[in-house]
This record gives sequence, C-alpha cells and structure tokens, in this order.
Amino acid sequence: MEEGKAHPSEGVFAHLEMLEAQAHEVAVKQAAAEQRKEQLARLEARVQELRQRRDELQAKVELQEQGQHGQGGVVSDPAQHSAQTVLGWKIRKVKSTLQVFYLTGISGKLSKQGVCFCISTAYEGTYLDSYYLDLLTEPQVRIHRHSIPTFIPMEQIAKKYLQTDIRRFLSVLSDHLNAYVGRRYQADQLQEHFSDRLEGTMQRNSLCNLLVFNYNPSSKSETFPFNARLLYGDLCCSLPTEVVISCAPDAPAALTETAAAHSDLFRRLALHKAFGSFGSAGEHVDGAR
Amino acid sequence: MDETVAEYIRRTVLKIPRDEIKTMLRKWGFLSETQLQTINFHQNKDNISRDVVQLCEENSTSIKQAAVLDIIYNHSYPNKRTWSVYQMNKTEEETDFFDLTDFRKKFKRQLRSTLKNVTINFREYENNAIWIRIAWGTPYTKPNQYKTSYVVYHSQTPYAFISPSVLKSNLPLLCQALVVASNYQDIHEMELRSHSLNSLEDMVFKRYSQNFETYCPRPVQESTVAQETGLRVVQENINEKERILRVNREGFGDGPQPKLEFAEYKLETMFTSDPKLEVLDRKEPFRCMVKFHSPHLLESLKSLAPAGMADAPLSSLLTCIPHKARNYFKIREKKGFFPGSFVSP
Repeated sequence: MEEGKAHPSEGVFAHLEMLEAQAHEVAVKQAAAEQRKEQLARLEARVQELRQRRDELQAKVELQEQGQHGQGGVVSDPAQHSAQTVLGWKIRKVKSTLQVFYLTGISGKLSKQGVCFCISTAYEGTYLDSYYLDLLTEPQVRIHRHSIPTFIPMEQIAKKYLQTDIRRFLSVLSDHLNAYVGRRYQADQLQEHFSDRLEGTMQRNSLCNLLVFNYNPSSKSETFPFNARLLYGDLCCSLPTEVVISCAPDAPAALTETAAAHSDLFRRLALHKAFGSFGSAGEHVDGAR
Repeated sequence: MDETVAEYIRRTVLKIPRDEIKTMLRKWGFLSETQLQTINFHQNKDNISRDVVQLCEENSTSIKQAAVLDIIYNHSYPNKRTWSVYQMNKTEEETDFFDLTDFRKKFKRQLRSTLKNVTINFREYENNAIWIRIAWGTPYTKPNQYKTSYVVYHSQTPYAFISPSVLKSNLPLLCQALVVASNYQDIHEMELRSHSLNSLEDMVFKRYSQNFETYCPRPVQESTVAQETGLRVVQENINEKERILRVNREGFGDGPQPKLEFAEYKLETMFTSDPKLEVLDRKEPFRCMVKFHSPHLLESLKSLAPAGMADAPLSSLLTCIPHKARNYFKIREKKGFFPGSFVSP
C-alpha cells in the first residue's frame, strides 16, 4: 500500500509535470506565431514603403524626360535645358564646317601616328570618287597606306614634294586625280549617251589619256567616216593636248573641213559636250559648222 | 576544218556548265543567232558539243577563233586556275600613252622572235584589263592548245597576273615579251598567289576597303551587335565584346576581305628557351614553316577574335596580308639588343 501511496503521488506529479510541459509548449508556440505575425506585418509595411519610393522616383524620371523633350515638362531645370541646346548647336556647326572642308576637295584628320588625308574629286559639278592617304610623320614624312590607283604617278610626285612641301604634294596629287576622273567621266559619258554615234567600243587605257574611236556626228547612220585620236599629254588637264581626226583618203573635201573643225572642237570642249553639240547639227554628216 | 580544231572546240564546250553554254556562245559571237537557235540546249552536253562542232564546221572555224571561246570561258571562271602576281620596274618617268594596238604588235613580235610556234590571242574588257592567251609549241611542233598560259594586264600599271601553263620553261619568254610590250625594264615575281584573280587585283590595286580615319566616314553597315530581347538579359562582358569588335574592325577594315587560300610563314628565328636547358648546342636558327589553309583565309582570320578563339588585336603578321599584298613571309631575327622577329620586305 505504501507503493500505492507513492505511486498515486508520482502519478499526480507526473501528470502535473506533463500538463506544465504542455502548457509551456503551447506558450512557446503562441509566442513564435505572434513573432511571425509581427515580422510579417513589418515586412509588409516595408514593402509598402519601398513601393511608394519607387513610384516617387519613377515619377521624377518621367518628369525629367518630359522636360528634355520639351513636352511641357513641369519640373525641368532651365539651366540644363539651354546648355544642351547650345551644345547641340555647336556640334552641328562643327559638322557643317567639316563637311565644307570635305567639299573643298582636300580634308585631313590627325591620326595616332600622323595624318590621314582625303582627296575628294569632282568634275564640273559632279562629285566623283574619294581617295585616301595615310601619312606617318615620325621620323620623317612618309606614306603608310593609301587608296590611290597604281597608274597615278604618286611615287614620282612624292619624291619631288613630299619631304619639302606637303601642301604642294597634295595639290599636285589632287590635280592629277581630278584630271583623271574628269577624263574618265567624259569617256564614260560618251560611251553611255552617244554609243550610237561610235563604232563599237572606244579604245582607251587606265589613265584615259589616249582615246581612239571611229565616229559619225549624226546618230542614225551606218558608216563611221571619222577616226579620232585624242592624246592627253598633260596629266593634270582634262582636255586633250593633241587631237588627230582623219578620214578615208578618198573622202570629199567637205569631210576634211569638218574633220578640222571637230579637231578644234575637241580641243576646247569636253568630249561629251562636243558630241552633244553635234546633235543640233542635223541629219547630214557635214552639218556641224 | 582541222580535226584538232573540232576536238578542241568540243572539249571547250564540254567544260562549260550546261546552263551557261548558250550565253557564252553568244558572247563568242562566232555563230549567228539563227545557227544558235538550231541547237537544243536541253539535251546532254555531249550532244550539244557535237552540234556546236557541226555548226563550226559550216563556218570553217580557225584555231584562233576557237581560242577566243577558251578566253571567254576562263574569264567567267578564273578561279579554276592559280594566278601569280608579277611586278615590273622602270627608271624613266615619262608619261606613258598606252596604245593598245602598239602593245599587241610589240608583244607578238617579241614572242614570235624567240618562238614561232605560238598561238596568241588578245581580248580587252571594260575595266582596262587585257587578257592574253598563249598556247605553246616548240620549234618543231605546232602549239599545244591544251597547254596555255594566261596573262591579265591592266594598262599603265606595273602589275601583271600570270597563270602559267605546266611548261614552266616558257615563263621567261612570256615575261620578256610583256616587259618589252609595256615599256618597262624588268619584271620579278611577287610573293602573292591565289585562285581568286579578282582578289589579287583588289589587293594590288588597293580596291579592297581599308579603314581610313576621316571626319566624314562613309556609311558603315549598322553594327549588328544584336540587341537581345528581354530587358532581363544583361550581357556582363558587353564592353569586352565591343572592344574586340572595334579592334578587329581596325585591323581588318569593314568590307569583304580579298579571297586567299593560304598564307605561308617561314620562320628562321632562334629557339628561345631557358638558357640553362641548352636544348640546342649550336646557335642556329630554328627552321620551321607555318602554313594556314582555308577556303577564305582572311574572313576566317577576321572571325577568330569575335568567336573567342584568339585574342584581339590579332598579330600584325596576319592583318598585314592585304596591305603588304603577299602571302609568303620570311621571319628572321631582329638584329639588335632585343631578340625579336621582323618580317622581311
């Protein structure tokens, strides 16, 4: 019975302990839950805060952009506005100045090791090819790279002027190139627009400084009584230095007179323009007077 | 008409792809339009070539006329031959009025003075290119039309593009005739060879696009650094990528590269290693040859850095190829304090 007395008290105590432990557990759980709830509430509040801040900043950015585009932005810094327009104006001015230099025919830009020149060519108002020259300045002036055609005597010109007078070198080279494109342009125009007055294709060469062709001043004709041989002795000139127009040996005198007149014409006038002047002469061969 | 001529025409027509035969015969201009209409160009090539030979029989073609068809074929398909570039020099600085008839006369006269049995044909094209076809014979035999050399010469330039025949012994004769006819004094072979004639011309005449620094740049193709869709994709190393592209463009230029099939580098440099190792007892240059092969060498070199296979900028030994117009290089020791390497001119 003593055991019985001991056991019931142990049982009660054990039971009480158990209940206490249970209560403790529940209390702990409740505390944790409350803590979590609190944290959640705090985080939610923070999220709200951040969202609000983001909206504010976004509104600011939009206002700034609007202000730049001048679409009635409410808050745009007036000082910033005018500084930007001035900068834009300056950039446009510099660009147009550079464009003007480019159109004058010779323009240049300093590069890491020297200068890079651009020679742009034109003939009677038509802008034609551009050629580039990359010069090194150390230890002495020499040509590094270029896009000048091989038949232009650039090495000769460089030997004469590159070391002593760069300006003269560029000017002479530019003359050569402009004259070459001018001669080429005339020959191309002739071949393109007056092919019906030429017999076959013209004989020419790379520099276009010798042209040989048979032609008839009137367009609808079967024969080509005149043979023209144009020699451009001066490589800086786009007009021929020597013109020889010949006919068959048994040709009538009128034809030889026309030949002499044409010879003079080709020496004075650009080739395609000379042929253009034939058009108004009429249908017969010895018309051009 | 000679049997040999008939056979030659037949074989030349067989070389041409079937779709091109009609156009080339038209360019040849030897058969009239009515004659061309009688040929059925949809049958197989054997029959077409036989029909063509038949018509040529009626017109009694000579070998010289048949040779023109060969020139037309080679002008359309120049990449089937290997071309070497030769450079001529002269000391006098007078302006040259290149007269085509004069050139042809001098060339034929010079060549025929040493070897009578040759067939020489000339054909001019619009870009001032003169194509010369030479069929070689010997002092005792007629010219062999299947062993031909081709020369492409642009007037008033010091460069000639030669595709030699298998008979290498005739090359000096050819060179001499060229020099005399074009009013130069001597000729030497450049270290430049390729199948693509146009690319060789581009390199030598500086017609390929070089990158020149100017204030008014020509319109450049839009740099196709594709803007990735999706604003959530951020390229971490976009700066490096753009640097590589920029440096690559400076080295190679913007436009298409000339087409070369190979580049050969002969190294004659000293083997540099730890002096303690003493690998080589004798102080001799270490001989070695590096050869790059590709269907399109320069384009593949250009794409190395953007593909991440090489560091940018690429070695100037590779990027200088179009600028120096050569694809054979000899690299020797630089004489001086610092053993390095330099490219022989």
